[in-house]
Amino acid sequence: MASAEEAVDYEPEDDDLMDEDAAGDTSPQAPMPKLKSAITGGASTSLSGPKKTKGRGFRDDDADRHSRLASRDFESLGADGGPGPQRSIEGWIILVIGVHEEAQEDDLHNAFGEFGEIKNLHLNLDRRTGFVKGYALIEYEKFEEAKNAISAMDGAELLTQTMNVDWAFSNGPSTGAFKRKNMRSGRTHRSRSPRRRY
Amino acid sequence: MAAEEDGGEFYLRYYVGHKGKFGHEFLEFEFRPDGKLRYANNSNYKNDTMIRKEVFLTPAVLKECRRIISESEIMKEDDNNWPEPDRVGRQELEIVMGNEHISFTTSKIGSLVDVQSSKDPEGLRIFYYLVQDLKCFVFSLISLHFKIKPI
Repeated sequence: MASAEEAVDYEPEDDDLMDEDAAGDTSPQAPMPKLKSAITGGASTSLSGPKKTKGRGFRDDDADRHSRLASRDFESLGADGGPGPQRSIEGWIILVIGVHEEAQEDDLHNAFGEFGEIKNLHLNLDRRTGFVKGYALIEYEKFEEAKNAISAMDGAELLTQTMNVDWAFSNGPSTGAFKRKNMRSGRTHRSRSPRRRY
Repeated sequence: MAAEEDGGEFYLRYYVGHKGKFGHEFLEFEFRPDGKLRYANNSNYKNDTMIRKEVFLTPAVLKECRRIISESEIMKEDDNNWPEPDRVGRQELEIVMGNEHISFTTSKIGSLVDVQSSKDPEGLRIFYYLVQDLKCFVFSLISLHFKIKPI
């Protein structure tokens, strides 16, 4: 019975409960893809069909590479229950795409300021052309403010160009498999089996 | 809404680093197919330790990342004429988009002069700017999500 639950519950990083040693992932539990890449966990099993491959990276094998991103000790802000957008350290962050290349910060303040005070705004430039890259990240303090901005501005125009607006961060994977985390939240703290003593 | 619906798989990994007096100093980030962004920055300079952060991105963010990559046309390039990684350092860029999988390695690029004087200035220039744009994107996401504003 336990194994059936394990099968349903499979999540790449939680697969090996015995392995508390973060650096020990060079002998992977998850199947290593035949292509020498650092795709860890279940990602390789979702690669459908053969891929056209290119590059020297397939020749060089670097054991380091596989262990660097396989470690479990990545900090994250805890999810406070349920799927959906995730709060950032001091507020709620939305992503705006389709931003006109000549837009300025003021244009965004004018368009988005009415929903609440903008705590943070990143309007990054294309490093080659100097024009706006095309996206903006805006932080509001309150969930309601961000939600209203999304509802009102998704599909709206700025400098005659249509923008789309959505949350930036979420509590769980985009494939919607996150529900399991809630049901088994204590799982990762299960203690090790005692060592055998001969 | 599954990420796969937006035209196939998506995975991106970028690494830049070197090994030296202060250990293995590197920056690495990874956009995984399930939407998780992982970021790591390591140095032993002044006995500093590794920074590791991760957060789930919404499909909207992944879509924008894909757009940045397809507009750069990096998938059409090849690294066979790019400088090999050396003692000064190495960069790795691995991308899966649709049915194409690239995994490029090269040395560190100091400036456009290094690009211009290489055997494939056109391709290397695309790589050079794409890496900068990706770093901008990732640094914004990570700092906005994790960093507290002073005062």
